[in-house]
Amino acid sequence: MKLTYIQQIPYRHLRDDFAALHSESVVTNPFYELVDRDLLHADLRDALYESMHAARAGFDAVGLQEHGSSSYDINPNPDLGAAALAYATEAEGLRVGIYLLGRSLGKSREPVRVAEELAWIDSISGGRLLAGFPVGLAYDANVNAGVPPIETRGRYDENFELILRAWTEREPFAWNGRYSQSMGVNIWPRPYQSPHPPISITGIGNPATTRFALERDLGFNLVTLGSDPKIGAAPIFDSMWSMASEMGIDANPYRAAMAVTVLVGETDEDAEKLYSKHLEYHLSRGLGHIPMNRLALPGGISPQGLKVLLAQPVPPANLPAPSYAEAVRSGLVVAGSPATVRETLADYARSFRVGQLLVFLQVGSMPIELTKHNIDLFASEVAPHLRPLWSEYDDDNRWWPVALGGQPASNKQADTTGARLK
Amino acid sequence: MTSQITMETQTVSVWGDQITLQFKVFGTGPALVYLHPLGGFVRDDFLDDLARTHTIYAPELPGTSEDDPFAIHKVNDIPELVLIYEEAFGKLGLRGAPVIGQSFGGMLAAELASFFPDLFEKVALLGPAGLWFEDKPWTLDILTAPPSEAPNLLFSDPSADRPRAMLALPDDPKAAVDALAHLVWIQGCGAKFLWPVPDRGLSRRLHRVTAPVLVVWGEDDRIIPSSYAAEYGARVPGSAVHVLPKSGHIPQVEQMEETLALVSDFLSNP
Repeated sequence: MKLTYIQQIPYRHLRDDFAALHSESVVTNPFYELVDRDLLHADLRDALYESMHAARAGFDAVGLQEHGSSSYDINPNPDLGAAALAYATEAEGLRVGIYLLGRSLGKSREPVRVAEELAWIDSISGGRLLAGFPVGLAYDANVNAGVPPIETRGRYDENFELILRAWTEREPFAWNGRYSQSMGVNIWPRPYQSPHPPISITGIGNPATTRFALERDLGFNLVTLGSDPKIGAAPIFDSMWSMASEMGIDANPYRAAMAVTVLVGETDEDAEKLYSKHLEYHLSRGLGHIPMNRLALPGGISPQGLKVLLAQPVPPANLPAPSYAEAVRSGLVVAGSPATVRETLADYARSFRVGQLLVFLQVGSMPIELTKHNIDLFASEVAPHLRPLWSEYDDDNRWWPVALGGQPASNKQADTTGARLK
Repeated sequence: MTSQITMETQTVSVWGDQITLQFKVFGTGPALVYLHPLGGFVRDDFLDDLARTHTIYAPELPGTSEDDPFAIHKVNDIPELVLIYEEAFGKLGLRGAPVIGQSFGGMLAAELASFFPDLFEKVALLGPAGLWFEDKPWTLDILTAPPSEAPNLLFSDPSADRPRAMLALPDDPKAAVDALAHLVWIQGCGAKFLWPVPDRGLSRRLHRVTAPVLVVWGEDDRIIPSSYAAEYGARVPGSAVHVLPKSGHIPQVEQMEETLALVSDFLSNP
């Protein structure tokens, strides 16, 4: 089992009346009204300290995501933090993966720069980079970056193909795309890893995405938005593995990763006492405070997908954010004693056949000392019980850097012909 | 009235046979081109009245016809869209006909008349998009706001009969879902030419228009402010500009009789 610590970078000091006064934690939230620059300075610094703490505590990788104009994750370009972590871990001799989860390719207007920056991080880290390529959330790709929703997917496809070629072609090449052009793509540096860093695709369950990942031998990261994994994630992984079987593709669990928020205390009651207010901050003022019209825009979802989406019951408007108890009961987060947490996570890993967990251990207003406590408890009381899972596949993990014990990416990954995520 | 005039669908292959453009065709008399708004082609009383004296040809934006949603991916930008429509009008013998364009369709009509000044005999623009200036900003909230806010954005009085009829969804739940899914998708198709700031440079081309132009705007337009009526007027010399009270973004629905009178006069005057 591979365990990645994922860092979000929230502003941790929003006032109690934030949700009442402001309709969202993205796009329109007023910076000067909300932020003290010294507190923000400390939040950015603490986030990197926390990631370093996780690296020292023995996580297999530390990861970052991309979110612009956001107060729940102040990370307009995760390459910035990843570069800092790559250098700092290198300086300390920590053999830990740097996992970008990643650069949003539906948003990016400079794909060559993405290829070049990631290659730089791969190079300075001596081949410890893992590259995740999500499409990007609507508010970020379409509203912040101004990409017409109906072009998001096409831009993703083209950027993905261009980055793979930029990473793998030995000679400079011309690129005449619909969204970008260059007479000579010749990035410096090329990636340290050969043929290229492990690549994973982040999805929310569209079968076309899982099929694409399987066809190309890419990793697949599932990020579910707000549902019990036993209900939301289970059918997605079931369908992925039966698809793999039909396609004659091995059922190696390291192909699959899922994201999960984890809060560990000495006991279940202790966890609630330690974390409830920070989780509730996260759910009411952070990730949970993004309206639906920021996540779905006309043109961004196919007609078929729209019919499925619109046939579902409409949730009542203005629901209060779930409480800690509701969030735990509904499976939105995994929280409690080490025993509670490891049993739940082991159950997810076994029943979904997932070889990688992407673990969020800082939420909302949680201060650095408490985050470190959560990291330490997870690393000492939970991780050792999860590590042996799927060890029979350790010799064939093509989704992990060679420098960290993985196997090289297969030729199918680097083959750019027909690289289309439809 | 609707049932008395049969409507047929004509198709024309354009753009190197990559796109089959669909036209809704109905009415009797000389040809009249109608370019639909962002919400797609909807037949209404205004069009049915015009259909008594004209044969209406209403092309559907690629991607908005029920059977070919992905045709939109074959059109990159406004110049390509203009060439596609111009080619289709040529193949159907519609060059020299008058055109009416509403909102998104109004922008498209103005673009066509700017690129090809001889294409239309007359150009009637009803609350057209296409211009955007910093001192009178307008948004694409109609695309991003919750559906419950649409009536207030679209209409001066959303409780009136015609606005309510226009926004009504089918009673059957499955048909309602299909209709709404279709509407959301076709809005996304049009948004390709408006997003993120609805300005593709029309203000720099409008001076090329030589056909007579009629501009009709709803005074209470909460999507594109009616002050843009004068902006069109200033950029197209000789154009006739009318701002109608008690109308929001769709004067052909909310002030149907008056809009019809203005358009009919404009079409019949030599």
